[in-house]
Amino acid sequence: MKVNRSERKRAFVVFLFFCTWFLVVFVTLIKTQVLDYNRYLAKIKAQSHRILKLHPKRGTIYDSRGEVLAISVKTKSLFLSNKDGRKSRRLLDLVCRTIPLDRERVRSIRRRIDRDEHFIWVKRKLEDKDYARLKALRKRVDEGRYLGFIDEHKRIYPQSGRAAHILGGVGIDEQGLYGIEYTLDGVLKGKGGRVKAVMDARQRVFRFQYLEEPVAGRDVYLTIDSVVQFFVEKELARAVETSHAKGGAVVVLDPEDGRVLAMASHPGYLPGRLRYTPVHLLKNRAVSFLFDPGSTFKIVLASSALENKVCYPQQVFNCYNGTYTLEQREISDVHPYDKLTFEDIIIKSSNIGAARIGLRVGKTRFFETVQDFGFGEKTGIRLPAEERGILNPLERWNQISVASISFGYEISVTPLQMARAFNTIATGGYLVTPHLVENIVGMRLPPVRRRRVLSASTCHTLLPILTEVVRRGTGTKARIEGVNIAGKTGTAQKNIGGRYEQVYVSSFGGFFPAQNPRLTIFVLLDEPRGFFYGGDVAAPLFRRVAERLMVYLRVLPELEGSSELRI
Amino acid sequence: MKPKGGVAFNGVFILVTFLFFLLLFTYSSLNLKNIDYGYRRQTLIRQEKELLEQIDTLTSEKAKLLDLARVERLVMEKLGYRYPGPEQFIKVFDRSR
Repeated sequence: MKVNRSERKRAFVVFLFFCTWFLVVFVTLIKTQVLDYNRYLAKIKAQSHRILKLHPKRGTIYDSRGEVLAISVKTKSLFLSNKDGRKSRRLLDLVCRTIPLDRERVRSIRRRIDRDEHFIWVKRKLEDKDYARLKALRKRVDEGRYLGFIDEHKRIYPQSGRAAHILGGVGIDEQGLYGIEYTLDGVLKGKGGRVKAVMDARQRVFRFQYLEEPVAGRDVYLTIDSVVQFFVEKELARAVETSHAKGGAVVVLDPEDGRVLAMASHPGYLPGRLRYTPVHLLKNRAVSFLFDPGSTFKIVLASSALENKVCYPQQVFNCYNGTYTLEQREISDVHPYDKLTFEDIIIKSSNIGAARIGLRVGKTRFFETVQDFGFGEKTGIRLPAEERGILNPLERWNQISVASISFGYEISVTPLQMARAFNTIATGGYLVTPHLVENIVGMRLPPVRRRRVLSASTCHTLLPILTEVVRRGTGTKARIEGVNIAGKTGTAQKNIGGRYEQVYVSSFGGFFPAQNPRLTIFVLLDEPRGFFYGGDVAAPLFRRVAERLMVYLRVLPELEGSSELRI
Repeated sequence: MKPKGGVAFNGVFILVTFLFFLLLFTYSSLNLKNIDYGYRRQTLIRQEKELLEQIDTLTSEKAKLLDLARVERLVMEKLGYRYPGPEQFIKVFDRSR
């Protein structure tokens, strides 16, 4: 077949066209696939690949029975995407009409809208009902262009104010601020992770890869028993109310291993409303309240005297009929006594007798015992703001110091330190470190520190003296029929600005059953009005707490002449 | 008459095309299956997360309901319970021991 010239020309044009088209396609492909490869890849990745941050859930805090004390649950937070100031302000007004927002917050949001900030939190950690209302509002008026929700975790304290001072509380970003939440923040909060997710056009994830594995916060089990804590808080609140005291504290220890079964401080607060709580309410009086222990400190003096074998229980001391002058300083007793035996000095709580014993022990030996009991140093409990107390160095001790410290002045201690001191006698001479953390899931905790500071014979001698305090001494109001309680009362003036004022701290420490202690309890009332002696206000509180715990912990009383008493 | 070589060529061409499409089909179906598994896995992960969150919420609700202060208030207000007074304790002595 012959092809004429014009046909050949047309075929050439078509061929040329296809060649050009192919060349253009080829060049474009080369440009897209080779030259601009990285740019387009980045664009695709920007659309379909996301790096998502994973926020781990904060660990749960349980009591020793496995009851939840603090838990984090999922919640929603509302934000405003401020693309148009006018529209944003209108939406904010609608939000204000839908959920409660405080005025200051609304003003702050308006200011931020005016400043053209793009991302503005409206309300974080919404209540379920507020979320439902806002979700409906968003659907009705906004369709998700301006208002949005972000998933967050909210810390819940289901038992409201229970063990508030132990738990502490968290901030808006779930960071521990007080109490165990603060001390164990590193363990509880875990570690955030990052994940690379591949998404489809509908933004659904269909493939993901961990860039950094998230580490969930560890669960923590405390030694606290929430039932014991409940009884203790209830009784403490009642005692503070009836004695018109400023506040109070109670510590309950398990003598065997120093577990803190309850630690209450009054007034309390709600950990869930930490932001709105005045700072003075956050003070945990059990570990942060410094006070002169008064006569409860005589147990340390008696221990020192017996341990160093400078006194014996029947030794008689002159108590100078209620007034004794030492280096021009007058020491007086509430009830005047002529002569008292060593044990009666403790039982009847004679300050003059205590001063005379202290002087006989001597400052070096007494100082050593005070140190052995752990005064002047932190107990090691894992709570922030724990005070170490005030114990002057030996060089600053003089005769007056020895006499004063013998009956619990010129030294400052915390209720927990005093509870530990009573516990030392309860354990037969071992100083046990009180602890709050029973277990951290997935972690091994160091063993409880325990060291002997008193001989068994000293404790054996001291025990009947302390039971006599409750049977016929200053602590009779702590007595429970059928239960052998060993304890000591204390009343001390408060040192305010370097001067002892006519306001008092009343306390009582003890343990029971005396021969085989199951519980050590120390109670304190700060500035009770009216009756202020430890024997009048603190001892009854001790008794009420002990009665409640006896029933709960099945500590059965034993009566003389019978083998068992059942209630 | 058609040449013999042409038939053989056509046969090979059809076979290669068939194998090519088979490979393409297998590859794409496997890939689609993988994508489908990705979606299903993602759904299950989301469901698991939601269930765990529900467990947390329910645990918290349960703890709130079992709060001793609440239980005490309820039994006192609704059931009229009172703490026994000292005179209401009955002491039983076991004389047999």
